[in-house]
Amino acid sequence: MEIRPFMQIYLSGEETYASGDIIIEQGSTVNSVYIVLEGRARVTKRTKAGIVTIDTLKPGAIFGEMALFGKLLGGRSASAIVADGPVRLGVLNSQLLRRDYEFLSPRLRLLIDTLIVKLEESSEKAAAFVVAASSKDQASI
Amino acid sequence: MTQPCTNDPTLITLKYRQGDLIIKEGDYGISIYKINKGRVLIFRERDDKQIALSTLMPGEIFGEIAFLRKAGERRSASARALEETELEVWHPSILSEEYVGMPPMLRYVVDQLVSRLLRMNHLLVKLSDQKNRRQKVTEKSDQFLSQRRYYRKTVDLECYYWPTGASPKVRLPGWITDLSLSGVGMKILPQNTSSFPHMPGDSFTLTTVLPNGRDIELRANIVSIKQDETSDRLTVGMSITDLSDQSKKLLGFFLMPG
Repeated sequence: MEIRPFMQIYLSGEETYASGDIIIEQGSTVNSVYIVLEGRARVTKRTKAGIVTIDTLKPGAIFGEMALFGKLLGGRSASAIVADGPVRLGVLNSQLLRRDYEFLSPRLRLLIDTLIVKLEESSEKAAAFVVAASSKDQASI
Repeated sequence: MTQPCTNDPTLITLKYRQGDLIIKEGDYGISIYKINKGRVLIFRERDDKQIALSTLMPGEIFGEIAFLRKAGERRSASARALEETELEVWHPSILSEEYVGMPPMLRYVVDQLVSRLLRMNHLLVKLSDQKNRRQKVTEKSDQFLSQRRYYRKTVDLECYYWPTGASPKVRLPGWITDLSLSGVGMKILPQNTSSFPHMPGDSFTLTTVLPNGRDIELRANIVSIKQDETSDRLTVGMSITDLSDQSKKLLGFFLMPG
């Protein structure tokens, strides 16, 4: 993807991963916010029925922001991010983003926090649906 | 219903009772709501089925997607009060100036967050649809169970019918147009009604020959009788009350899809 001018000052580095590499482990503490520059990454969840993929992140997508804002600040990642083919990531300056966030009014901060909570809840539900679907398929065989 | 409180002129609060619909998917709306008291279910609807997306607690907000997406301000999901609920209503104007003035990088992050949330909700709806389809397949395989929903076929079968209890000699012709294990749609000539009454609730005995050459007999009550829109015939809707095991089996096979 093309790095837009406003992104420049936030980019503090780049990381590359090979296919299948785990970028963020489920349950680990997240300290960085990433932007996908090239390639793709899968969002997966470990469940009792195995690992399920719930989303694919394409160039331009952001992840790791959950730990940056709101209630989940400093929390553990509820999903794993895995390289789907070779992937190049931009590492964003989280202090800078955090400062931007803290300058917002309580209302706008609450709005962002709620988005994160909702995304977490929807992801959880989607994973449960995938598990239910796969266990039914096994039962019918 | 809603009950606006006007104590604070700058801030509107609304009260909802348990079960009240607060916003409806697809409607136009621009307000953002913060939950002061109660719980709110966010859901989408597909084929009359509710797909729960999230349950929100006091201190959380909803209605923000239409604001962030400016998608013609159409609601992407519905919201319902799960209990006695009090909401604070934010007009988007109290946020839009600040939102537009937000550092572009932060706005970009929020925008990507919204995209992921919408994708996840879309996935939830899709997975829930697949689940419903699987259930339908299961129903198909159990179609002789009397409690199941039955398949209906559009047909064109000649039949004979007479009032239940009367002699089959008084039988009159008709044409079956719709058939299921629970009901029959039949067309008749208007003059048939002069031979015996055709009133809702009347019971008739019907016989017909299915396309596979097998005879079936059944009893059904008239549910409705009306003039056909495209011909001079009458359309009679009937609900089946008696079907012998043999007829049920034959009809069941005939109605089987494919």
